[in-house]
Amino acid sequence: MGNNQDSSIIDLRNLHKCYWVGTMPFPALHGLNLEIAAGEFAVVAGRSGSGKSTLLNIVGALESADSGSVEVLGQDILGMNSDQRTQFRLRNIGFVFQAYNLVRVFTARENVAYVCQLQGKSRKESMEIANHWLHEVEIGHLGYRRPDQLSGGQQQRVAVARALASNPKLILADEPTANLDSTTGRRLIRLMHELNHRFGTTFLISSHDPDVKQAAGRLIKLADGQIVDSWDEVPEPPQSLSSSCPSSHLPLGERVRNYIKLKRQSRGGKRRGGNQRRS
Amino acid sequence: MNQSTSTVINTILTVALRNLLAHRRRTFLTIGAIAVGLASLIFLWGFNEGLHRNMLGNFQDAIIGSIQIHHQGFFQHPELSKAIANPQKVVAALRQADVSRYSMRLESFGLAASDITTQGVMLIGMDPLREGEVTQLGKRIGIGRFLAPEDEYTIILGATTANNLQVKLGDEVVIIGYDRFGAMLAESFTLIGIITSGEMGLDKGMAITTLATLQQMVDMPDRVTTVVIGSDESRVPALTAELEAALQGERLEVMPWYAMFPVMKEWVSLHNGFLYLFLGVVLFIVLAGELNTLLISMLERTREFGVLMAIGTTGYQIAAILLVEAVVIGIVGIVSGILLGYVIVLFTGKYGIDLSILLGSTSRFYVDPLIHPHLKLDHLGITSGVILVASIFAGLYPAWRASKLQPVEAIRNG
Ligand SMILES: Nc1ncnc2c1ncn2[C@@H]1O[C@H](COP(=O)(O)OP(=O)(O)O)[C@@H](O)[C@H]1O
Ligand SMILES: [Mg+2]
Repeated sequence: MGNNQDSSIIDLRNLHKCYWVGTMPFPALHGLNLEIAAGEFAVVAGRSGSGKSTLLNIVGALESADSGSVEVLGQDILGMNSDQRTQFRLRNIGFVFQAYNLVRVFTARENVAYVCQLQGKSRKESMEIANHWLHEVEIGHLGYRRPDQLSGGQQQRVAVARALASNPKLILADEPTANLDSTTGRRLIRLMHELNHRFGTTFLISSHDPDVKQAAGRLIKLADGQIVDSWDEVPEPPQSLSSSCPSSHLPLGERVRNYIKLKRQSRGGKRRGGNQRRS
Repeated sequence: MNQSTSTVINTILTVALRNLLAHRRRTFLTIGAIAVGLASLIFLWGFNEGLHRNMLGNFQDAIIGSIQIHHQGFFQHPELSKAIANPQKVVAALRQADVSRYSMRLESFGLAASDITTQGVMLIGMDPLREGEVTQLGKRIGIGRFLAPEDEYTIILGATTANNLQVKLGDEVVIIGYDRFGAMLAESFTLIGIITSGEMGLDKGMAITTLATLQQMVDMPDRVTTVVIGSDESRVPALTAELEAALQGERLEVMPWYAMFPVMKEWVSLHNGFLYLFLGVVLFIVLAGELNTLLISMLERTREFGVLMAIGTTGYQIAAILLVEAVVIGIVGIVSGILLGYVIVLFTGKYGIDLSILLGSTSRFYVDPLIHPHLKLDHLGITSGVILVASIFAGLYPAWRASKLQPVEAIRNG
């Protein structure tokens, strides 16, 4: 798998990502390599904080990375500007988030039709597509309901229908079952798996739910921002924080602030040194 | 592309309108605030306009008319030697301009004397038949009557003057004046009327007789110093210019009321200035109220906007949703404000607003206690336009903030 360039839908090489809170670095991904072929049903598993969301957000062109290369559907995501990313997401990727995915003032059908309309399809055609996908996720009879008239599981099904309605190659689902009870969650995962089989759409799902892991066609184990082969394996820690989060990746504003602070400290230090009162 | 653009626009409109309807109470409170603010402004403009019309009308009706024509310099230094050289030319110009409401006067200074004392007075000879065309002085004679055409050496005094002289109807009043060469003249008049207008300018220092009598007294038959013209307020500037052009080279001055009494005009401008100040205050309230509503609406949808952006909605489209909401709130608020304000002005304009409780009878000056509000279109246009712009501005900041949202952060923190 993965050798055939055409069938590889995600290709991540040596991916690094740090978050900065002020000048404090929070490493999220270190040197991640991952290839996912078209049609896979892949689950990224790992504890909270292991970097699952970060990974999915970078693949989904929602976030940038510090270094490495990200190719999705053969396109270099990191080189895109914000408008290109928006268009890329609209055309190629379906999203399912953890909860509250839907527009409150739209019915289920309108929520699904929304992406088709954004893509420029007429309202009528969009509504037909929405009806179709709502049937596929087995809630065709609830299309007229608003999100607040649907259960959590039903809402997630609407989100899945919406993700499929734009006819994407890839669907990213970040902990789609986290807000559901286990039975409902299991059913949702089974449904997604089925859809993956029938339509060949690639799924990349993040979860720390054992049921989800069980259903995985391929399980990607993530620990401390690195992919491990088994949970027993302790990932090699990066040599140092400064090597995994070089301050050259610090946002410009912070770098300037940092510089000014250091300057002031050194100046203030000298002055304090001059008229020391402690004896 | 065109078809798809319109689909996208429709979708955005739908999101915006649905959201406004989903939060009916908040939406209608905001719209209501705009409507009430605008309606009260419209009413105030109407009231102001009614007050000004009333006041300016009464001011002109009292004695000065809308426009006066004199010999050059007469208004500053009234002297009989500055009589109008050729009144026929003036009459011809008035006919040409289609003016029928005019009257001739001879005006001079003099002293009114009784057995008790003397008082300086403005001596006016009026045409008893034509004066009613330009002023309502005849209606302000509280005691006695106005001049009649056949009167000879009858006189009307202001209440204060009559009081000071301690004369009553039928009494003899001696008027001492000067002819155009400065020679002193004195004649005896019979008091037939007293002006009780409550206005200082009229009640004090006026002595009015017939034009023919005064012409005879100062030995200036057929001569006049003043032509008083009555005109629609809106025509005054144009008519002034027209008459000036027609009478060029005649050594005459054509003076509209506001050239003779600029204070009155300034007073009107001052009033309007206050209303613009009030417009500013209402604008601020509208802006703050709507900004607050839209900001709350934006903040509570942060997560939703984040999801919409993640699935392919652009920042501009998100901004458009909020701007549409701002514009709809603004337009609905303005239309209902105009309707409400218009109905109030129409209603109060028909029945009038009685201010007699507020205005003591002596402090009314030129104001009737019954004000009939009247709406001018330019005031309506300016006010509505400014509030529309303000309501759009109120949407700009929330729209800008929403368009800058980062989907990941919005979904995490929303
Ligand atoms: N916006 C952020 N600011 C700072 N640190 C962050 C931010 N987002 C994620 N992180 C950190 O990055 C690491 C990975 O986070 P995340 O990708 O959300 O993990 P997961 O989804 O597996 O729980 C965590 O240590 C987390 O604290
Ligand atoms: Mg996560």
